Amino acid sequence: MSKLYEERMDRYWKANHREKPDKVPFRPFAAECVGAFYGLNSQQVTHDVDQGLEAVIKMCREFDIDATVSNMVYVWTGLTESYGTKYLGVPGIDLEVGESFQYREPRSDDEAWMRADDYDRFIEDPAEFTLNVWAPRMSKYFAAPGETNTWKNNLAWLKGGIGMMYYIMKINAHVQRMKDEAGVVSCLSGALKAPFDILADKYRGFRGISYDIRRQPDKVLKATEAVAPHMLNNALGGADPSKKTPVSHWMHRGATGFFSEEVFKKFYWPTLREVTEELWKAGYQTIYYAEGKWMRNLKYFLELPENSIIYHCDKDDIFEVHKVLGRKFAISGGVPNDMLAFGTPEDVRKRVKEVIEKIGSEGGFLLDAEAIMQQDTKRENFKAMADACDEYGVY
Amino acid sequence: MSEFKKVPMSVFPWEEKKKEYKEIKGDEEIVKRQWEEFDMFAYLFLWFLVTAM
Repeated sequence: MSKLYEERMDRYWKANHREKPDKVPFRPFAAECVGAFYGLNSQQVTHDVDQGLEAVIKMCREFDIDATVSNMVYVWTGLTESYGTKYLGVPGIDLEVGESFQYREPRSDDEAWMRADDYDRFIEDPAEFTLNVWAPRMSKYFAAPGETNTWKNNLAWLKGGIGMMYYIMKINAHVQRMKDEAGVVSCLSGALKAPFDILADKYRGFRGISYDIRRQPDKVLKATEAVAPHMLNNALGGADPSKKTPVSHWMHRGATGFFSEEVFKKFYWPTLREVTEELWKAGYQTIYYAEGKWMRNLKYFLELPENSIIYHCDKDDIFEVHKVLGRKFAISGGVPNDMLAFGTPEDVRKRVKEVIEKIGSEGGFLLDAEAIMQQDTKRENFKAMADACDEYGVY
Repeated sequence: MSEFKKVPMSVFPWEEKKKEYKEIKGDEEIVKRQWEEFDMFAYLFLWFLVTAM
């Protein structure tokens, strides 16, 4: 198993660095589909992390996977409930057991975890703001300084801290099992969010940030600059000490459907570029998991150092993306999620063959679905994807 | 572009904590190091709350 693992790590590393490995790596980002493959619903894999992780081990043992995410159902709602998170829809509590967990956007400034007039405090010290303002607002239990303390507040902080350490211990043990029992590489380590994205996702909400970029643009800019070093620290804090696997980066509001190029260039890109370059200087590649369409903004990514990112293509034409970025960065993706849900194994095989032939023939390509695979991915199509990668992906 | 300004992985810096001690009888470096290590865990937990969950 050790030999198999080393072969897969070598293959994964070479593809990420645009070298030509022995074959195209199959690197699926398999989320709730893993549970579905083994008779588990979303509640089971999301609320009980042990069931979710065990399903990943089964998947690694069954399919020929080179590298995969240790737990793509990344929110453990058992943990988030322990400290009273308000912003999640939880399968089995708020949602039906078969639905994926949901992030619930604030519908007004009153509901936002950071209000429009909070920018100065956030800019002064984002960590202080997060601890003393954001956390008490987003939790049913955390009490802000000055509020009446409760036993639930004390307990929630205790549970949250212990829970985080517990989760990290479980993931570390799980990654070792992936290696020892299936020879599969855990493909990501460390998490980056673009400063503008974290502001939009978790602090102001989409509605709030949309107003802010017009009403107080200088403060939005300063806020992204203030939080950028914390995003770097957060990524480095969880990054792979051996530097063999890249940092993850889930990309949201830079997609072209949300904001104009002007907004991307002014607010989204500068601090993201800085943090990505700092990660590269520290020895880490970053996977730009670009959800949605990003074609218009790809030219900005060319400013980054060669091989500093692996670009994951979702809704854009992957062949066009390859023309723009393929000369500098490895590309991943290729198989549409709707094909995996509604198509046939033959459809999937044809698509894999096409993608590998057209953009994978010289290395620098990793096969995956376009987006994370949820409970609608058919098992036979997932298998077809894995098998076709073996059949067509040998160099 | 100006140089990227890094920040320490800290919420409650040692400089603030040290003010609470009348004196440190032994090796201050040991006390400082241990304080900063636990403070780093708290810092990473805070950003884990925001980014990971």
